[in-house]
Amino acid sequence: MIKKLAAVALACVTFSSVNASADQLDTVIQRGTLNCGVVLDFPPMGYFDENNEPAGFDVDYCNDLAEVLGVDVNVLNLTWGDRIPSLIAGKTDVVIGSTSDTLERAKSVGFTYPYFVFKFQVIAGKDKNIQSFDDLENLKVGAALGTTYETEYLAYAEKKGWGKDNYTSFKSENDAYLGLYQGKVDAIISTNTNIATKLRSKEFADFAAGPFVPKYDDVVGLIAKRSETAWINYLNLFLVRQIRDGNLDAAYNKHFGSDAPADLIQSLRDNK
Amino acid sequence: MEYEFHWNIVFQKMPELLNGAFVTLHVSVLAMLLGIVIAILLAIAKMNNSKPFCYVATVWVEIARNTPALFQIYMAYFGLGAFGIHLSPYVAVLSALVFINAGYLTETFRGGFQSIPSTQYSASKSLGMTSFQVYRYIILPQMLRRIYHPMTNQFVWSILMSSLGILVGMSELSGTTQRLQSLSFRTLEFFIVAAVMYFIITKLVLISSSLLSRRLFKGEI
Repeated sequence: MIKKLAAVALACVTFSSVNASADQLDTVIQRGTLNCGVVLDFPPMGYFDENNEPAGFDVDYCNDLAEVLGVDVNVLNLTWGDRIPSLIAGKTDVVIGSTSDTLERAKSVGFTYPYFVFKFQVIAGKDKNIQSFDDLENLKVGAALGTTYETEYLAYAEKKGWGKDNYTSFKSENDAYLGLYQGKVDAIISTNTNIATKLRSKEFADFAAGPFVPKYDDVVGLIAKRSETAWINYLNLFLVRQIRDGNLDAAYNKHFGSDAPADLIQSLRDNK
Repeated sequence: MEYEFHWNIVFQKMPELLNGAFVTLHVSVLAMLLGIVIAILLAIAKMNNSKPFCYVATVWVEIARNTPALFQIYMAYFGLGAFGIHLSPYVAVLSALVFINAGYLTETFRGGFQSIPSTQYSASKSLGMTSFQVYRYIILPQMLRRIYHPMTNQFVWSILMSSLGILVGMSELSGTTQRLQSLSFRTLEFFIVAAVMYFIITKLVLISSSLLSRRLFKGEI
């Protein structure tokens, strides 16, 4: 028994050391499949369409990337919290999942150039009549657990001395909207793009988009294993080509109904 | 393995993790105490054949034992929310755990009672003991001994189940761990430390319960 275990352990060690020396770019090409992680709970970046197929801006980017690599694509549905474990465990080669490029996270994971810029925004019932961000002081506010807007809101609330009692964390983006819809909270913080999508549905007819989180642009990148510099280089070039080849505009048109705004393209170029 | 561990961030966040561990312990102890009280009532209701009470107790036990804890917590939070009843994450998790604990313990208690042969009751009565004395000196001590370990197991299970509080954004040990990991992306470090904390908590519970049982039952178990 012990011998067997030792043999298995040895095989694992040998296998992983071979794997570690192989470059991720080569691995993907040789495998013939790109394992692309997307958060499918975050429309219009990632969601399930009416046929229950993955769709959205991030999914289109996965498809475009697989196409230029000349491989098939395997889109994996992740939660916010699964993004890094999926990379470490080797379940995904890249995560196209609106990952905010904080320096803290960059200690653990490799970021590409930015590929999108969000604004964080408030959505609340029309009757709440929120004019400025400071109107949230006496309201019950929520956001999805472990998101950058949760961090930003809590930092702002702490600075203003609002305390944490009025704040509720939700497991996922969907749960945050469900909580808002049920009246568990008066307002939630989300991204401008997700809010715009939700406001088009009839469930959220009585809700309105409120002010932006002050002084914050959420710049997001693709993530890959930190050690895979060659792979990250490839992904960087891919992102630049997406702008130049018009694929960014195509995806933007499909999901937001217009060409990508000049200021978005400019900030993607500036941030690069 | 390529992964480089960064332990110092975990030590920096230790106060938050300990706070989460405290909430975990807090909610499971409370859920256990309330669960025991309700389970005693349900067990009496089930044994005492009065129709409406027996019916309520049976439905309770059947639902608690045959549906996943995950759904019960979710229903307590979002399910009741659909009817305008808004429990805080803490109360939602607490009530779900009480519901489950009571469901399981009811059967434990009932089994404990029924495992004592009724002949003991008649024998004690024939020696001139009152009903109260029979229960106090003959039945209850034996029953307690028999259900003690299943009760301890339920307690440990209730501590581990409280980690489902993460579903409703509760800041117990798992929720805190998840939040810290998504800010820093140091998944393995935070999860390992949290797992160790769960292990220590449950181990402490088991050790103290076995010390207590030695005092209570004087080594007869």
